[in-house]
Amino acid sequence: MNNSEPKIVAFCCNWCSYAGADLAGTSRMQYPSNLRIIRVMCSGRVNPVFVLKALRVGADGVLVLGCHPGDCHYLTGNYHTRRRLSITMKFMEYMGIEPERIQVSWCSASEGSRFAEVVTEVTADLKRISPNRLFND
Amino acid sequence: MTREIEKKLRDTVRELLEKETIDRIVGYEAGSLKFSTTPLITSNKADVDRLVINPFTHSNLSVFLRDLCGKVGIVAKGCDARSTISLIQDRQIARKDVFIIGAPCDGVIDLAKVEKLIGLDRDEIDDIVWQGEKAAITFAGSTQKFSAKEVLADSCLGCDPSDFKECDMLIGEIEPIVGGKELGQDRIREMEAMAPAQRWEFWKKEFSRCIRCYGCRQVCPACFCDRCFVEETEPRWISPLPKWQDNLIFQVVRMMHVAGRCTNCGECERICPANIPLGSLTKKMEEIVDELFQYRAGTDKDAPPLMAAYQPDELEDLMR
Repeated sequence: MNNSEPKIVAFCCNWCSYAGADLAGTSRMQYPSNLRIIRVMCSGRVNPVFVLKALRVGADGVLVLGCHPGDCHYLTGNYHTRRRLSITMKFMEYMGIEPERIQVSWCSASEGSRFAEVVTEVTADLKRISPNRLFND
Repeated sequence: MTREIEKKLRDTVRELLEKETIDRIVGYEAGSLKFSTTPLITSNKADVDRLVINPFTHSNLSVFLRDLCGKVGIVAKGCDARSTISLIQDRQIARKDVFIIGAPCDGVIDLAKVEKLIGLDRDEIDDIVWQGEKAAITFAGSTQKFSAKEVLADSCLGCDPSDFKECDMLIGEIEPIVGGKELGQDRIREMEAMAPAQRWEFWKKEFSRCIRCYGCRQVCPACFCDRCFVEETEPRWISPLPKWQDNLIFQVVRMMHVAGRCTNCGECERICPANIPLGSLTKKMEEIVDELFQYRAGTDKDAPPLMAAYQPDELEDLMR
């Protein structure tokens, strides 16, 4: 447990998760303010290099949020995200990065409460591990 | 035995060129140093006699295929043939434009291992040949035999010959001496026994030696982007200075790009002037891909590329 507040970069897809975040906001649900949301048109836009770059410049964790499988606005975008980021997660674990730092989840536009829940959980995960010093010299 | 096969290869290639089945051939010729080979690309029948087959044919020749026009014959070991198939899957070359000549491969001998084993320089060694399951090394007037495990290149240790499925013609037999997946996995298991923080420290140390020569990228048949992300300037993903952080990101992202394409031919590791154990990364990526998707690169020319395909219900256990 550490007392510092983790910085989390969240990539949210325009059609589901970003709208989900919006709903969480307009419904006045409480969730930790550790999140920095970056809106992407589809979670399939998230290149593994985005994730690594975020960690490189000091984010403590990266959360990628997309539509539930089958619900992608572009039909198959999130299936590709799933493959790509599964490999990223597994491989980065081998390199020695804590698995908590890279997380992927699904959240639909009507799931404001789920959005708040996921964010709370991820923040708790990252508070459990030490701040990101991976790329410090 | 090697001589016979070499003769057979030369005759075959000459005939293929004469009949115009192929326009040019990509093969190996003797290199300038002892026990080395260098790629030979030619359309000239007179050059065919320079072709060789020996246990030092390390280069993955499929890297040239995208740049050659006409119908190209390629002298392919198992891993080269798989890389070729992988390029076909990615629509980088057409199946009809390549003629795969399957060459016998007992595994590539890592000369550095031999030198270390007997404590002599390559110029002091007279001969190295495969004799059954052993490598017979002649030096200082006597011959000593070593088990394949001691002298084979690391990438050959975990080779599974059954992955090699497609060729137009087979010269001799393709069967590596040391089979069995486990042998190649020793390095990964060693790494996994370390704590995550230790692993990160290990890679930090390794990548601080990287001079960003991009040899690993140039020599890799799976690395076929016309413009590499490291050379992008807007946005600039990684600093052009060879800092270890950026070296590491470069290599990690390269590994992601070749996931499902890499056949673990070991060229990136062999070429690395800083001796970074890249084979450990390619092997791990191969294992991840196999575990998650039961997919082996370059085994089926009609299969869609790994990252272009999906199953509706997979991997959900990895998602939050």
